Amino acid sequence: MNIQVTEKIPLITLVGPPNSGKTTLFNFLSGKNYKTVNYPGATVEYSISRLLKKFNIKAEVIDSPGIVSLSPNSPDEKIAIESLFSHPLFGEPDILIVTVDSSQLSRHLLLVRQLQECGFKLVIALTMNDLLEKKKLGISLAKLKIILDCEIVQIDGRTGEGINKLLSVASLYLEELKSSDKKIIKKHLTNHTQQSLISLYKEIGSIENQVIHRIHANGNGFDIEAVNAQLNILNSSVERKINNTIDSTTLKIDKLLLHKTLGPLFFFIIMALTFTSIFWLADPLITLVDDFFSLLSSETIILLGNNWFSNFISIGIISGTGSVLIFLPQILILFLILGILEDSGYLARGAMLVDKPLSKIGLNGKSFVPMLSGFACAIPAMLAARTIPNRRERILTIFILPLMSCSARLPVYTLLIAFLLPTDKSWLGGIILASIYIFSITSSIIVAGILNKFKDKIVKEEDNSSFIIELPAYRKPKLNFIITHSYMNAKAYLQKAGPIILGFSIILWFLTYFPNTDPQVDTKGLTEEEVMEIQSVERLAGSYASDLGKLIQPIMSPIGMDWRVGVSLIAAFAAREVFVSSLALIFKITDDEETLQESMLRSMRKAEIGDTGQKLFTTATIAGLIVFFVFALQCLSTVAVSRKETGSWRIPVLQVIIFTFGAYILTLITVNGLRAFGIN
Amino acid sequence: MKKASELNFGEKVKISEIDFSHPSSQRIIEIGFTPGQEIELITKSFFNDPLAFSIRGSLVAIRKNEADCIKVS
Repeated sequence: MNIQVTEKIPLITLVGPPNSGKTTLFNFLSGKNYKTVNYPGATVEYSISRLLKKFNIKAEVIDSPGIVSLSPNSPDEKIAIESLFSHPLFGEPDILIVTVDSSQLSRHLLLVRQLQECGFKLVIALTMNDLLEKKKLGISLAKLKIILDCEIVQIDGRTGEGINKLLSVASLYLEELKSSDKKIIKKHLTNHTQQSLISLYKEIGSIENQVIHRIHANGNGFDIEAVNAQLNILNSSVERKINNTIDSTTLKIDKLLLHKTLGPLFFFIIMALTFTSIFWLADPLITLVDDFFSLLSSETIILLGNNWFSNFISIGIISGTGSVLIFLPQILILFLILGILEDSGYLARGAMLVDKPLSKIGLNGKSFVPMLSGFACAIPAMLAARTIPNRRERILTIFILPLMSCSARLPVYTLLIAFLLPTDKSWLGGIILASIYIFSITSSIIVAGILNKFKDKIVKEEDNSSFIIELPAYRKPKLNFIITHSYMNAKAYLQKAGPIILGFSIILWFLTYFPNTDPQVDTKGLTEEEVMEIQSVERLAGSYASDLGKLIQPIMSPIGMDWRVGVSLIAAFAAREVFVSSLALIFKITDDEETLQESMLRSMRKAEIGDTGQKLFTTATIAGLIVFFVFALQCLSTVAVSRKETGSWRIPVLQVIIFTFGAYILTLITVNGLRAFGIN
Repeated sequence: MKKASELNFGEKVKISEIDFSHPSSQRIIEIGFTPGQEIELITKSFFNDPLAFSIRGSLVAIRKNEADCIKVS
């Protein structure tokens, strides 16, 4: 018998203030191999990776959310700081790599000094050296190393230069650790009052004065450094004040983008471009995915013949998978654009621009990013709300996030809009979709405004509302990293949502196919296709789904719909997009001549309510369904995350009740209102 | 004493004092606003709030009421 003694793999944690280039460094270290991990208990999303093979060091690297200091101000910082001392899954880090933006040395040294005070072994990765140079400033590395008593390596976030050196220093440290006694880390700072922070900054100020120097137009940094080293004694006695100014390009761009009147205009244009490009760019890709799965689905029937097995594969599995993948392009593109906006530095400015209006309705400028991500998915959006320091504002943000039109609603809207439009006017689709988005944003503002009136009832405690945010220097977005990140995000999303959607698709298939699997139909004089069509209608009428559906018929009748829509709406509580695959199961007749959507639309147009001869899908009922989907909270995963993030069932239960009952009532008003005006 | 929230554009002044009683004062100091530092008002948002200041070579946006706790001279 072999006893495997597994050596503990060393743990390197990346720490740094926001915008210090930490995640860029992580991307270089991990390549495409990282995964986001959920903590037990608290679900902050962390990225962890084994160091790339090419670096030849066996170690795990963790990326953590950016922190300004060791005193947390918001829940995300609190978790980041706590896990820095002891990670719930990986324990205490062996060494820290701290990213420090050299062009903001004094601000970023605050964290370095606090970490050193706690006793951490750290290596500094000095980033953004090009920005410092642009400011015509240089840094004396040798001197800074002596003062801080730790290794410092300059790295270049665009080329990866310096990273090999950084890691060789890190591995040297790791070797040292093996032979030395375990260091003791103080869990808390002994002193972090305002006054002690000011003294710390005084000390840092004098460090900065000693190591930062002006580069002359014709000189280069190294010569100056040598000269400075010789003049050491002189320097320390004479107060040299180096004026660290803001990057001039950033100031120029902000003159426009943060202009008092032009700023909001640019903001509006950027947001409009973001949303329209999501549809324009994704549209051809969506058609491609749709065509591929409908072809696959109909080929399966042809290949396997018309029996329960081929039906299961074709409709239960292939169409089910297709309905998951169909909205992937839009998610990918939204993540991509969000990544570009964030990396360029605009997102923080957007937050600043909307802070005042949002605070009027009980939210915060920092609600902006969660709300924007809510258009992809409410789940990461709720996690992003952790950056909001004030508890009441955070809870209110989480409360209205389900109203953001998430990408799962897109396939639903796409189908419903297609039903409303004549084929020759498909260009109108974009406008209707845009109106739905504007409608959902307006609704969320109104809902937030109403909730704000009851804020004392929703969250009792009143704490300080604050908006302090660094506006980073504008940088060219690093596209290759953004693409990788979007891909990873989309993949993680698929892995989470995919199985649920597929599972429900299979359950629904079962409910709609059994027990009446082989209905007896008079086949005389009918083509094989017609027989299949009649058979599937008969099969559905005698299915379990129909039995279940008849129970909810009384609820559906007032809004002009029948049990078939009711079943699909209930199925949509697993995930909204299941509505489409469920309707597909109920209404679709496989036909290789058409795409999935065309054949669905055709049978939806034919559908009637019971034996009344009244059409099931009309302009009024479709409009009603759209309104229902705008408001209803139909996503179990969102409810679960809301429970975790708000700490109790109170908020999620309120959300489900208010949004879902509200949706039903508004649908009732829409359908009957339209009918009263003669629109059927 | 003048507050940072009352600055005009382009006016470069030194911070003389931070009002510790303001609940945001800790974070304001942590982000770099300390006595002796030079600050300049760079931009105001649409409703004159928040304000963005140049501090220690960075641009930092804070609310008007938070800028009230930064005394300048």
